[in-house]
Amino acid sequence: MIRQCCRWLAVALWGLFLTETAQAASPIRPTETVRRKVLPEAWFAWLLLTPAMVFIAVIIAWPLVETIRLSFTDADLGGESYVGVANYVDLMESRRFRQTVTTTFYWMFLSVGLKLILGLIGACLLNAAVPGRAVFRMLVMPPWVIPIAIGVIGWLWMYNGYFGLLSGMGQRIGLFDGPYAFLAGRTSAFYSAVVTDVWVGTPMITLFFLAAMQGVNRDLYEAAWVDGAGRWYRFRRITIPQIMPVIVSMALLSAIWTFNSFDIIFILTQGGPRGATTTLIIDTYKVAIGNFKFGEGAARAVVIVVLLATFSALYLFLLNKVNKTYGVK
Amino acid sequence: MATLDLHRISKSFGTAKVLHDIDLAIKDKEFVVFVGPSGCGKSTLLRIIAGLEEASSGKVVIDGADVSDAHPVDRGISMVFQSYALYPHLTVFENIAFPLRVQKLAEPDLKQRVMRAAEILQLTDKLKLKPGQLSGGQRQRVAIGRSIVRNPKVFLFDEPLSNLDAALRGDMRVELSQLHRELDATMVYVTHDQVEAMTMADRIVVLNGGRVEQFGTPMELYHHPATKFVAGFIGQPNMNLIPATVLGTDGGLTVEIDGGHRMTLPVDSSAASAGDKVEVGIRPEDVDLGDGGLSISVRVLERLGGVSITYGTIGNGETRFCASLPGDAAVREGEPLHLSVAPSDCHVFDASGRVLRRTAAPALVA
Repeated sequence: MIRQCCRWLAVALWGLFLTETAQAASPIRPTETVRRKVLPEAWFAWLLLTPAMVFIAVIIAWPLVETIRLSFTDADLGGESYVGVANYVDLMESRRFRQTVTTTFYWMFLSVGLKLILGLIGACLLNAAVPGRAVFRMLVMPPWVIPIAIGVIGWLWMYNGYFGLLSGMGQRIGLFDGPYAFLAGRTSAFYSAVVTDVWVGTPMITLFFLAAMQGVNRDLYEAAWVDGAGRWYRFRRITIPQIMPVIVSMALLSAIWTFNSFDIIFILTQGGPRGATTTLIIDTYKVAIGNFKFGEGAARAVVIVVLLATFSALYLFLLNKVNKTYGVK
Repeated sequence: MATLDLHRISKSFGTAKVLHDIDLAIKDKEFVVFVGPSGCGKSTLLRIIAGLEEASSGKVVIDGADVSDAHPVDRGISMVFQSYALYPHLTVFENIAFPLRVQKLAEPDLKQRVMRAAEILQLTDKLKLKPGQLSGGQRQRVAIGRSIVRNPKVFLFDEPLSNLDAALRGDMRVELSQLHRELDATMVYVTHDQVEAMTMADRIVVLNGGRVEQFGTPMELYHHPATKFVAGFIGQPNMNLIPATVLGTDGGLTVEIDGGHRMTLPVDSSAASAGDKVEVGIRPEDVDLGDGGLSISVRVLERLGGVSITYGTIGNGETRFCASLPGDAAVREGEPLHLSVAPSDCHVFDASGRVLRRTAAPALVA
């Protein structure tokens, strides 16, 4: 462990040294001359990139390659042997896996959709010229600022049938006949997890939307007002198009984060009851880490990587298109 | 088109009063320019006319109707903003059509009015482009197009040329003047650039500190500035203001200016008396080379080709003086220069900055 730390420290210092050398050389006029004396320019550039490349190779590339390799094996605690595409065939044929994929997408679309809608409404309210606006803006922050685990444990208590706030309130207003454990039923557990995820994710989206709204040139609104455009018309024809690049960015980034969301579901339900909240990431964790079936888990991880890569490509494509459409340079 | 009357318009932001009882009567089809330094209240006044700001007191009357509490649309005004305020996600066509879409105008009528505006502004080949693909001047034309399509009673312009470079500004000044003639509309135009005001306006309102200093034709303001502020603001280079002492008031005003030179000036001297401190205003373009009693020491010389702008000091060296001389005038930096000025070209301002009326001023040209 200590040896590992020393290695990282050495890498970091090497990067720092190279950066400092370049910075120290740059204010002096004959930068190129100084550099050429030591190394050719291309070599110097590669040298500067080395720490980052080593970092990427160790942290990202190697685990990725290793995961892909493992996905073609039946690796477990007892060893491994090559099984070809058997793991993938099993996944394609598994009804349970298809159900997991469906659950994952439903979870993602529902949660992201709600976050975007609530974020937009919240941003509009926070953008309105009302007294005490700064206080309201601060009040939005806590779900995002407090550690997720602590916030979710709070929800865990609220969902409890016996001492939970929600169950108690439901009984008081006559909604439930007796204690109602939100996380015990398949449907209620799923939607409870969605509510918690939306609670955690909405503040950040709200703040991003708010920042985008505040960046819209006020003259556009005044020009539209002079032209007779009402509040709703101005929102539809000016605000939404003007913040569209941010909406697209947040939609796709939020989709990726929600797709990958692990902590909220794991703390609330661990994927249960009876797989109702098992998303791909939870399933992968259970198979690979819970059941020590590294090969099968790796195949699931590769499926996730492919799906996320597709999202990322879609994100870049859409963002580019939206920026062109809405005149963003 | 329409008349525009402002009755005792005042505006305060908190405890700061930015407009003081403004009274103006703008005639039908008139091109009026509000001009003044930054912070004089000209944009605020325009925004009050537009309905974007509410006056603290006073009335805005368009075509005889009090519109002080009316929505901008009901006032029959349109406004062109300094930033153009074009919608970057919409094409030129849609930008121009925006007010008509708000009004839910039928498509054929809408198209016809947009095309008409585009023809006037020579934008027909740009209708499918987005604002980001246009030059500054073209964007400005689109902004004007958006105001034209509504057929407003009064056009309002808030420093529309300030974002353009000098050459383009000159071209756009000509285009706007032509547009005014073509549309035959009442226009109110705000600028801090006195050249824009002088070249385009039928009448100019000079504002200072939230008050109207003078309202008149460009040549009226040039030849008969009511105050020292107007005299200094209108005209390029600025008018020279030389401290002087009144020696006598018989047959005009006899003064001794800094440097000891005595002059008898044809102004109304009834309110003046010997010993009063006044300021004599001399426009740089009204002086000639020759020993007329004005002696300056030249510090900086700017040769612009047709004219040579000469900067120096007069008298005890504390009063700055500028002279606009012929381009090839034999002037050198660091040397004394002898100048003359006709007494009838001089202006005189009393200690409060009010002008003493000139009795031998040139006839006004409209």
